[in-house]
Amino acid sequence: MKMRRDPRSEREARRSTGGERPRFSLMVLKPAVGRLRRSPRIVRQAATVSISPRLRIAWNGRVAPQASGAVLAARAPVETMRVVAEPAFHVLVVPDTDGEGGLSEIDRQLIAAGRSLADSGGGAVCALALQGGDDLGGAGADRVIAVTGIEPLAYDPEGRTAAVLTAIAILSPRHVLFAETPDGSDIARRVAARLGERLFAGADALEAGSDGDTRALRRAQGGSLAQSAKLPRLVSIMPDAFPLHAGLPHEGRPLDEVPMGAADRRISASRPLTVDPDTIALEEADFLLSGGNGVTDWQGFADLAEALGATRAGSRVVCDQGHLPRERQVGASGTLVTAGCYFALGISGAPQHLQGITRVGHVVAVNTDLHAEMIKRADLAIVADAQAVMPALIRLLAERKGGGDD
Amino acid sequence: MIRVAALLSIGRHPASGRARRAGLDARGLELALRMPNAEVRAFHAGDPHAASLRDYLGMGLETLNVLNVAPGCDPVPALVEALRGVGPDLIICGMRAEAGEGSGMVPYLIAEALGHAVVCDAAAIECASGTARVVQGLPRGRRREVVVTLPAVVLVNSAAPAARAPAFARARRGRIVPHPVEAREDAFLAACEMRPWRARPKRMAVPSGGSAQERMKALTEAKAGEGRLLVNPVPEEAARAVRDYLVEKRFLRGAGDGDGRG
Ligand SMILES: Cc1cc2nc3c(=O)[nH]c(=O)nc-3n(C[C@H](O)[C@H](O)[C@H](O)COP(=O)(O)OP(=O)(O)OC[C@H]3O[C@@H](n4cnc5c(N)ncnc54)[C@H](O)[C@@H]3O)c2cc1C
Ligand SMILES: Nc1ncnc2c1ncn2[C@@H]1O[C@H](COP(=O)(O)O)[C@@H](O)[C@H]1O
Repeated sequence: MKMRRDPRSEREARRSTGGERPRFSLMVLKPAVGRLRRSPRIVRQAATVSISPRLRIAWNGRVAPQASGAVLAARAPVETMRVVAEPAFHVLVVPDTDGEGGLSEIDRQLIAAGRSLADSGGGAVCALALQGGDDLGGAGADRVIAVTGIEPLAYDPEGRTAAVLTAIAILSPRHVLFAETPDGSDIARRVAARLGERLFAGADALEAGSDGDTRALRRAQGGSLAQSAKLPRLVSIMPDAFPLHAGLPHEGRPLDEVPMGAADRRISASRPLTVDPDTIALEEADFLLSGGNGVTDWQGFADLAEALGATRAGSRVVCDQGHLPRERQVGASGTLVTAGCYFALGISGAPQHLQGITRVGHVVAVNTDLHAEMIKRADLAIVADAQAVMPALIRLLAERKGGGDD
Repeated sequence: MIRVAALLSIGRHPASGRARRAGLDARGLELALRMPNAEVRAFHAGDPHAASLRDYLGMGLETLNVLNVAPGCDPVPALVEALRGVGPDLIICGMRAEAGEGSGMVPYLIAEALGHAVVCDAAAIECASGTARVVQGLPRGRRREVVVTLPAVVLVNSAAPAARAPAFARARRGRIVPHPVEAREDAFLAACEMRPWRARPKRMAVPSGGSAQERMKALTEAKAGEGRLLVNPVPEEAARAVRDYLVEKRFLRGAGDGDGRG
């Protein structure tokens, strides 16, 4: 590599010692001393991999320079699906049910967590299809076991437990993953108690141990301690702890259906109860109808809440005025709500109010002021008089109920 | 007359770490004490000298049976043995303990050993002859009623009514009855590694594909609302827009789909 001149060290070499002022001799020329400076231009040229179609430079020197164009030509045939033909072991995933028959977010996270366990040793992820008809392969499952003999949407923890036990007996999986959700955690504990095995409940993360094994981590002691152990066979997994499967879809090949197995059912009947929405705590409610200072027709507001089946809430101003009780106040000095839908009528959207709705899913706002903060925050914003929209919406909902279909 | 057993563990304040009565177990005891025509017995496996046990007595218990199990030992065999001696129709516990492992396995192991049914997430219990109707408190304020054959283990969650405050005089008057038992050390817990919990950063879904610039943009771009805006529509049009939006997002029963969100 050619070195550039270093004027500073050349000048230092000419310095003559002695005297008050610095003096430099123009006559003596000693060879340059110290470190040679590198020439960035030459280094860059050596590291350039290709110029077209775009400039590529590998500073780490790991890529040998290629003729341009060669990069594009040699591309492997495109793979569209990954198949694990002969798995070394199985990871059984027991999806939760979200009550509507679809694969929920936590189910996809579970399959992805199973994927990471399987990929570390050439295993296959086998998902138990309690409901059927989902894209389990796309979520990362290699095999799917359908279970016959259980009601897909009914609350039947004992039947599901029997189904999981049958699948475990058939497959003898290395790991079984459950969802740490209300229904999923119940089934996980029933299975663990029946098998007499330890359940690692509510795993938050998987990490590599010092001796190469996988360890699982969970919160213990009310959340103050992290408990870690070598990953046992039965594990339940916290929601939102694992990322979704992002790679190619997997095969999702259906295996033979398994019969549910004998279940000794002692939970004999179950039915959902209709709950008065106004008795639900504000932070728990899923659908909130919230009124602000722009609402004057409070009877209409109550009727609308009933027609929608929504829980009533309000801004601080209306609670101060006594239109709603204090525990119905949303905001920084009220309740931080987590509703899926927040329907705001005549609320300006003061910062103290918006702080209360940061974790809300969808916002619908009605306000007469186009420039209100609430209108900016909303997913569906309507600039109109709330007193006119409320009766129109009540009429529309009543029409549908009376008319049947429309 | 039905025989009820309440399992009470010692809780731990989440911020200060001080011992206290466990919130869910106290709710369970509250349900048991409110039950008409019930004979309630309470059990704890642990140190009989723990001061917070008095809080349970203050709720109106005459006696509390304490099985003297050393810390770090498995409380399940001792509890099973004690419960077998009493033969309760209904065993009430909390969903999770606040101290210790808190994995919520104890009630299931007891039910398995005694051959009882299990119902979780209970918010209310009502006993009839041979069966119990349990109202389950589910997320988002939903409720479900199930009927279970007795004997059963019922796990109480935070939807159950709040526990009454302990009365000082009752707490002093109540008796703690210690029972010596033998217990083995919990080998799994001993093999676990414990360290202080450190919150990890929230996981973001990293988009794949596209150029580096596109991925960066997808991650950093602020996701505003859908931002549909109607300015001064007639009320009917506004009402239709709201209704269609709510139906589309499934917050309102759509035309033809049975019971919506259930
Ligand atoms: C320390 C502190 C804490 C606070 N904490 C909270 C809190 O927790 N929660 C909270 O809500 N507030 C809180 N506030 C108060 C907050 O700052 C606002 O004053 C309050 O949120 C305003 O309520 P509002 O939007 O209902 O009323 P306004 O600000 O009066 O807004 C009324 C809105 O209705 C619109 N409107 C008027 N007529 C109609 C009509 N006919 N149809 C439709 N729209 C109409 C107007 O355009 C306006 O946007 C707090 C304030 C302080 C100082
Ligand atoms: N040592 C104990 N003594 C009495 N009851 C207990 C004990 N440990 C757990 N329980 C009960 O079992 C429930 C779940 O505990 P755990 O399985 O430890 O999370 C608690 O809420 C208690 O009702």
